[in-house]
Amino acid sequence: MSDSISHGAEAHAHHPELGFMRKYVFSEDHKMIGIQFLFSGIIFLFVGGLLAWLVRLQLGWPHAEVPILGKWLWSGSAGNRMPPDFYNMAFTMHASVMIFLVIIPLLTGAFGNFTIPLMIGAGDMAFPKLNMMSYWFMWPAFVVFLLSFVVSPGGAAASGWTSYPTIASVTMPAGQGFESPAQAASGIGQIMWLVGLIFVGVSSMMGSVNYITTIINMRAPGMTLFRMPMTIWAMFITAILQAFALPVLTVALFLQLLDKTINTSFFLPPGTLNFGNWTAGPGGGQPLLWQHLFWFYSHPAVYIMILPAMGMVSDIISTFSRKALFGYKPMVFAIAGIAGLGFIVWGHHMFQSGMDPRLGTGFMIATILIALPSAVKTFNWLGTTYQGNLQLTTAMLNALAFVSMFVIGGLSGIFMAATTVDVYIHDTYYIVGHIHYVLFMSSVFGIFAGVYYWFPKMFGRLMNEKWGKIHFFITFVSANLTFYPMHILGTGGHMRRIADPLQYEFLRPLQPMNQLISISAFVLGFAQFIFVANFLYSLFKGPKAGRNPWNSNTLEWTCPSPPPHGNFDIAPVVYRGPYEYGAPDREDDFWPQTLPPGVAKVPAEEAPHTAEQPKVEKEHG
Amino acid sequence: MHKFWAAVFGVIIVLCIALFVVAAFVPGWWLPKQVSTFGDAADRLFYMILWITTFFFVLTEALLVYNIWKFGDAKPGYKAPYVHGNHKLEVIWTIVPAGILVLISVLQIGTWEEIKYTKNFPRPDISVNQIVVVARQWEWRIRYPGPEEQKRWERDPKGPENWRKLAEFPFEDFGQYDDVHDVNAVHAWMMDERGAGRVLIHLKTRDVLHSFFLPHLRLKQDAVPGKVIPVWFAVNDWNTAYDEKSKTWVDGFNHNTGQFGDRNFIWDLACAEFCGSRHSMMKGRLYIHKDRADFNKWLDFQQKAQNARMPAAAE
Repeated sequence: MSDSISHGAEAHAHHPELGFMRKYVFSEDHKMIGIQFLFSGIIFLFVGGLLAWLVRLQLGWPHAEVPILGKWLWSGSAGNRMPPDFYNMAFTMHASVMIFLVIIPLLTGAFGNFTIPLMIGAGDMAFPKLNMMSYWFMWPAFVVFLLSFVVSPGGAAASGWTSYPTIASVTMPAGQGFESPAQAASGIGQIMWLVGLIFVGVSSMMGSVNYITTIINMRAPGMTLFRMPMTIWAMFITAILQAFALPVLTVALFLQLLDKTINTSFFLPPGTLNFGNWTAGPGGGQPLLWQHLFWFYSHPAVYIMILPAMGMVSDIISTFSRKALFGYKPMVFAIAGIAGLGFIVWGHHMFQSGMDPRLGTGFMIATILIALPSAVKTFNWLGTTYQGNLQLTTAMLNALAFVSMFVIGGLSGIFMAATTVDVYIHDTYYIVGHIHYVLFMSSVFGIFAGVYYWFPKMFGRLMNEKWGKIHFFITFVSANLTFYPMHILGTGGHMRRIADPLQYEFLRPLQPMNQLISISAFVLGFAQFIFVANFLYSLFKGPKAGRNPWNSNTLEWTCPSPPPHGNFDIAPVVYRGPYEYGAPDREDDFWPQTLPPGVAKVPAEEAPHTAEQPKVEKEHG
Repeated sequence: MHKFWAAVFGVIIVLCIALFVVAAFVPGWWLPKQVSTFGDAADRLFYMILWITTFFFVLTEALLVYNIWKFGDAKPGYKAPYVHGNHKLEVIWTIVPAGILVLISVLQIGTWEEIKYTKNFPRPDISVNQIVVVARQWEWRIRYPGPEEQKRWERDPKGPENWRKLAEFPFEDFGQYDDVHDVNAVHAWMMDERGAGRVLIHLKTRDVLHSFFLPHLRLKQDAVPGKVIPVWFAVNDWNTAYDEKSKTWVDGFNHNTGQFGDRNFIWDLACAEFCGSRHSMMKGRLYIHKDRADFNKWLDFQQKAQNARMPAAAE
């Protein structure tokens, strides 16, 4: 194993400089692919954010006349007011973009690609070409998703990101176009949505195969499984989840695509359905079949969207606490436990669906038990910070926000897992609040933490700490103001996905809360421009980072910043676990995994940054 | 600076808790008035989870804020304790939450069975108010057996037995000529002491998924194309009376004050599953009459109105 790695490093050292296309566009280098995922993810973060703003505009001021924008988008019959079909499109595409083009690609695509070879001491991924393809398979999805906004008739998909039949799947007979009889605004856009998702799925599939192979086969000498950092454990288990769950989604997507295009009836029941004066069916399928297939993937997908962040946050918290991760093995087992249980809980999305309620009881018990490994992780993060020597860098603050907010998301999940309580709060804003505490407040803070933490390794420069903290502060406050009141809306019974809550007597008193949420969401969106400005400025003007600006133990910090093609100038050999901080009888408070035993101090060339980075030291001093 | 950040985390957490406390006392910001037989049990379970989660919420967040406050100023040269974990602690914080979580889930089962398991549904006999609800884009179509039909069932010596047969060959499939139809209004009467007045709904949809959501009853059930899903409830309160002014039955009647238009006595029926363009307008109301006699008066009234519109149907 060591041979191949040192080999790789040498071979690449004498490599001729690659051309622009091979280096930045069709790159086979895992770091560049990771950075490509990062850039496209951040761009689509803004697309998804814009859609969220439109959703909030409607919910805060339902069907109000919108100045300028309204004239531009909805002039004519709607009278500058947002039509409900547009609202349906906005929330559908908001969720689809955020989940499939932002969170999953950022966590597994960007950070998975960037960290895995670096943290296990490999020169690259096991299959670099496959890796390149996994990024370029995202592009058809980017293109069809964006194009679908302007196709006629109808525009982009508007059946919810869950795309439940029959509203999503029913179509006109051959030759009469693809407009949905169930929904004027969901025709070709829905087909494009399905095609886009198939590409995203294939992309993730290729990524996951690559991650699993790389982690199993290409670890540096001495890097035993239980010396792997939590980030790698999380990426490994996430990849396994993807590899097992994605085929099911892909099949379901193909079935719905067939229903939608050539009139098969996998999801149409054996009876006729009446849409206005058009009758569909009889089919030979079941609408509930889709829900089973969809959630068999999409529930594990929830963990795909949180486990990598948990891993990254574990590493970041340990590094900046200058203290070993509390309970490393329990943390690993907890991730495995979450992933394993994650496969047998999909039915909790279907408690009220008409599925046999006896199944609901079983799914409830499995679901509630997932809170257990989550609790173990939280306690261990708290144990790590306890009595630590906390450096409150921007990365650390974001990681601590992850822990703090994940507690809310985890605890609110128990309400919905409990079948009886779920009867009432199912399909209300309670679930919207919950999912945003998990996916925004946890995953996105995890992503921010990861960006601030690995930015110096990715680009060789540090991000600005002051503006990073300002960004963190505004984001943390406004995001809580945005998502926390949603729990109250849900407790009040506010249904999700309704365009106009004022229709209901019992929801009218909640309208001020809806307006507060909307205003906070606008602030939250604007705050992200601070992040982008900081990101772009630091890319070119940030202070140069040395190899190891955070005095961290893991392998990636022994490479130059940014690491060259082939990563390691010295083939790494691993002597210890990743969390040896604060070891007594040593001068340094960290103990890199590659430092041979008996070497008392980290050699200067491996930590030349401290002199160059007085700013970082001052910030947390 | 670290104390500032500890305060930021702390203030956010305190505000989160404060919002829940305030919301519980602001009219309309909390669980709506509860009127069904199983709703109290459901609410109790909600509060139980709320108290347990609040305890762990405060515990973990307080520890986090304390850690930032106490250990947040990294001192150069200071080394944190060289600790990698604690087996005993891991065991404790695995076993204790596991016990609590299993307890939470076991306690759900009884009420969940009561609401959803068909074995607990009211046996269809003459005391049960059977209704067919057909959801479509974007309204609830509702059908009651007509008054004459009900009387026939009552007169029939084998009535209850026939009812059972009717449940097997349910009237939801075969409309009778004297059925009473309504749209977006579910009428029933308050359950009496003998348990008469439980409502058995045969829930169908003729196009896409919908969800039959009665927030004041803590009841929700999706309607699925191709399936007839039974739903049952019984109500402990009433909100509908004959209004002399409008010459019809009106909800929002507070029987304590004798006034119409009381917000707490308007019980909405909502669609909770996304169903297309006008999803948010697919709404109805739940009308609970004081007793069966008043309900029957309404049924008669409704049938006459219906026959007046369509005379042929009365033949």
